[in-house]
Amino acid sequence: MQYRDVIATALGQIAANKLRSFFTLLGIIVSVTFLIAVLAIIQGMNVYVQDNVAGAMIGTNTFQVRRSPINITRFADDDLDRIARRPIISKTDAAVVREVMPDAEAVSMQSGWPTPIADVTWRGRTVGDALVLGVTAPYQTVQDYRIAQGRPLTDIDEEERRAVVVLGADLAEKLFEEVDPVGKDVRLLGEWFTVIGVNARKGQVLGQSFDGFVLMPLSRFEMIYGRRNTTTVSVKVASAEEVAPAMARVEEALRVARHLRPTQDSNFSLETSDALVDFWRTLTRVLFAIVPAIVSIGIVVGGIVIMNIMLMSVTERTHEIGIRKAMGARARDIERQFLVEAIVLATLGGLLGVLSGWSMASAVAAASPLPARVTTWSVVLALSLGAGVGVAFGVYPARRAARLDPISAMRAE
Amino acid sequence: MSTTAERRAVVSTPGATPDKDWVIVTRGLKREYDMGGEVVRALRGVDIAIRRNEYVAIMGPSGSGKSTLMNLIGCLDTPNGGEYWLNGMLVSKMSDDQLARVRNKEIGFVFQTFNLLPRATALHNVELPLVYAGVSSDERKRRAKAALAAVQLDNRMHHRPNELSGGQRQRVAIARALVNEPSILLADEPTGNLDSATSTEIMKVFEELASTGQTVIMVTHEPDIAAHARRVVVLRDGLVASDDKRATFKQQMGLP
Repeated sequence: MQYRDVIATALGQIAANKLRSFFTLLGIIVSVTFLIAVLAIIQGMNVYVQDNVAGAMIGTNTFQVRRSPINITRFADDDLDRIARRPIISKTDAAVVREVMPDAEAVSMQSGWPTPIADVTWRGRTVGDALVLGVTAPYQTVQDYRIAQGRPLTDIDEEERRAVVVLGADLAEKLFEEVDPVGKDVRLLGEWFTVIGVNARKGQVLGQSFDGFVLMPLSRFEMIYGRRNTTTVSVKVASAEEVAPAMARVEEALRVARHLRPTQDSNFSLETSDALVDFWRTLTRVLFAIVPAIVSIGIVVGGIVIMNIMLMSVTERTHEIGIRKAMGARARDIERQFLVEAIVLATLGGLLGVLSGWSMASAVAAASPLPARVTTWSVVLALSLGAGVGVAFGVYPARRAARLDPISAMRAE
Repeated sequence: MSTTAERRAVVSTPGATPDKDWVIVTRGLKREYDMGGEVVRALRGVDIAIRRNEYVAIMGPSGSGKSTLMNLIGCLDTPNGGEYWLNGMLVSKMSDDQLARVRNKEIGFVFQTFNLLPRATALHNVELPLVYAGVSSDERKRRAKAALAAVQLDNRMHHRPNELSGGQRQRVAIARALVNEPSILLADEPTGNLDSATSTEIMKVFEELASTGQTVIMVTHEPDIAAHARRVVVLRDGLVASDDKRATFKQQMGLP
């Protein structure tokens, strides 16, 4: 018996019992739908983080010199202790970077982690939860900030430790509404600051505004929070290709400046936006592992339903099995027929699940900014899960069918 | 034609491979069933030899063992003792898979209850033995159509069994039995579910097949159906009671 005939027979049998087949497959369809949709949404979030969040937080074609790495989840306690003992990133380090990167688009310093949050007050009106960042003037180039009103921070503001601030678009709007903020004095952390400019809107990422900050000269920031805190140095180069060689140069220069022996690890971290994406990925990897595990439970239940229906089908078709055996079907022909039927049935369930999961993912993509993506591997996973269930739960009914005695089987009606 | 003496010589030499002319040779064929502790001896040593091109009826009252013999001859069952040679092959020692192959290649079944696949068309029913013979789809269609044409059903090919009359169904079954060009056509009460007019029609088909050289073995309990055969074997209590050519049988039964 050729495989084409076996599959044609199986499809014919399923088509003859459409409604029953559908209900049989419901468990598998629902499980696979869930699998495909959830994985697509996580995948979409990964892509979204990669495309929007990472660039927005670190800057394009930019890498950072940091005291601690961004993705700290993959480190053991020992490593974390070692990181905690690292020297801070200071003005000296920034100077080394500047010297070795004369062709950089911008080399900036910004206050390190954690970023303080403060209330900003103007004429009795207070806006809370403003992120306070101390930055040098090039930071605005690194972040591609555009000035909407007034002027940006300058090197002179930094040198003279001027009490001036540039506001994010959201903060300025909340605080001043229709009034022009430039030249107004606001109260922040118990001190007076003059607003010199307002940045153009950067927009939202995952509902998180990137326009709710206060930028002030790093030198002024240190007058408030102290000088012994670490900073982060950002280096922006002209193109993506230049990032890696520039990082190598900076690493070497810093190692020399810090007198590290060749056998010693670097006591600072160089990070691109990739690290941020990696950090996010480590978080979602857990989900990638858990979702198939949960789905497996649903699929096993679906498999048991298939086995049940196949056993019923063997009983119903005992007479047919007898006829086929009399006509020369061997035990293995009958076994194969019922096994293939179970596999085709289960795979069909997987396929329907993929389709419905895919349309769910598309609906999410249409209704939200998440670019939910159905990946090839999740489809392959779903279909092989389906086929696997067909094999696992189809073998027993198929064996039962194959073992039937032709004479008594033909006598059954 | 064979003589009784010759036949006796064939069936009484255990272990010897029968001559090519003999399609079926059984020597001391035994079949016992265990019916919940009680052993039923359905066949107690049957010796039959059937030549190529013979048209044989196997008769007997119910419980005589004729259905058991038919199952053994049809390779649907294996004996507990004795030998069964089909076309020079010792079938009684074969495995289940080998028996399936023999059923597929050597035997064409016609049953009382037709035993057609209810959801399949006439054409597909006739194709079935060819499917298990591994014949390609085009070749299958061609041969199944030819077989249906031979029983004048080429206009009903795409009908399902429930859209056909009893006689038509039995003719589909005959077409199915013949499509693999088997050594023997094995019919089990082929007219048992048919009215007398249709029975005559079906018997005419058997008559034609026999006259063209097809070996036909027919199990029946109706004397007038058995009368169509050229030789009648009567079983009684699991043994051959009589084995006669048509002339003598007709005399015994008082038929014309």
